Amino acid sequence: MNAELLAVALMAGAANWAFRVLPTLARTDRLAPGGWLERFLSATGPAAIATLFVAAIVPTLSPDVTRLLPVITGTLAVLVVWAASRSVAGATIAGAVLHGATVWAMGGAMGGALGGAMGATP
Amino acid sequence: MNLSRPSFLSGLTASLPIVMGYLPIAFSFGVAATGAGFSATEAFALSLIIYAGASQFLALALLTSGAPVLVSAFTLIAMNLRHVLYGPALMRAAGKDGSTRTAGAWAFGLTDEVFGQALGAMARGQKFSEGYMSGLGAGAYASWLAGTALGAVAGGGALEGWPAVSAGLSFMLPALFLALLLSILSRRQVPVIAVAGAVTVAGSLALSAASGILLGMLAGALTGLIRR
Repeated sequence: MNAELLAVALMAGAANWAFRVLPTLARTDRLAPGGWLERFLSATGPAAIATLFVAAIVPTLSPDVTRLLPVITGTLAVLVVWAASRSVAGATIAGAVLHGATVWAMGGAMGGALGGAMGATP
Repeated sequence: MNLSRPSFLSGLTASLPIVMGYLPIAFSFGVAATGAGFSATEAFALSLIIYAGASQFLALALLTSGAPVLVSAFTLIAMNLRHVLYGPALMRAAGKDGSTRTAGAWAFGLTDEVFGQALGAMARGQKFSEGYMSGLGAGAYASWLAGTALGAVAGGGALEGWPAVSAGLSFMLPALFLALLLSILSRRQVPVIAVAGAVTVAGSLALSAASGILLGMLAGALTGLIRR
């Protein structure tokens, strides 16, 4: 087992447990609404997700229409299914399916890999 | 209005839509992890220990790009800070039925989707119960682990002959982030989102992708402190 991976996983996992469990046990629902901590914490989630969306979508933007079209159809599918169902999982799957279907319809012109979006593959 | 306390089994049943969503996402995580050079055991360990989809994909990107351990861990931790609000929000909705006797276990399962499902059920008049939360969480967690294992065993080369499937899976992550963004979108958070996005682009261009991500999150969170 890669030691760096294990160290990162344990730190992130411990923090995840603490973030999910401790506020539940501490009943921080009694936290002063509108206080600075509450505002900072409420902003952290949207900031994190917006950041990651931008980081994931920017490398997929390309003037080449064969690469751009699946991104457009996939994004539209997420927006439409979200508006209709308010389901995160449903919208995600619909986006991926339509993205893949567009690539298939264009004859598999674009080979994708997760690395394309996040640099995850060497 | 359902006046009885929902059971573990009804929680497990209610987890089915989440299971259907998690399986393919976790599968694509397992494929991506092995494709990035990690072993099947390492991929499974990430899902078992971290259990937060988007940050697991990010962990792959950070670890393969050679980002320092502490920078990687801090980025993942910052990303999951939003979870601190889920337990309290759930307890607020539960009112006098709220109990935390076994929360040390079930609250670890409070992912975005589990939280959303539980809150939605209570909004429709269902009572809070720790058994229901445990069932809901167990179904989701089991499907996340099973999906990861299947993807990791299939391996990084599993989709080489299937470019359209591979492309679809590659879009899973941006799609997940967009859907999550839509799920938390409110007028109050628009400046936070705009600042975070702009700083990410600027930071990525001027420094590196990992720096852009970290700076974007910090700038967005600090924007939330400004009173309007």
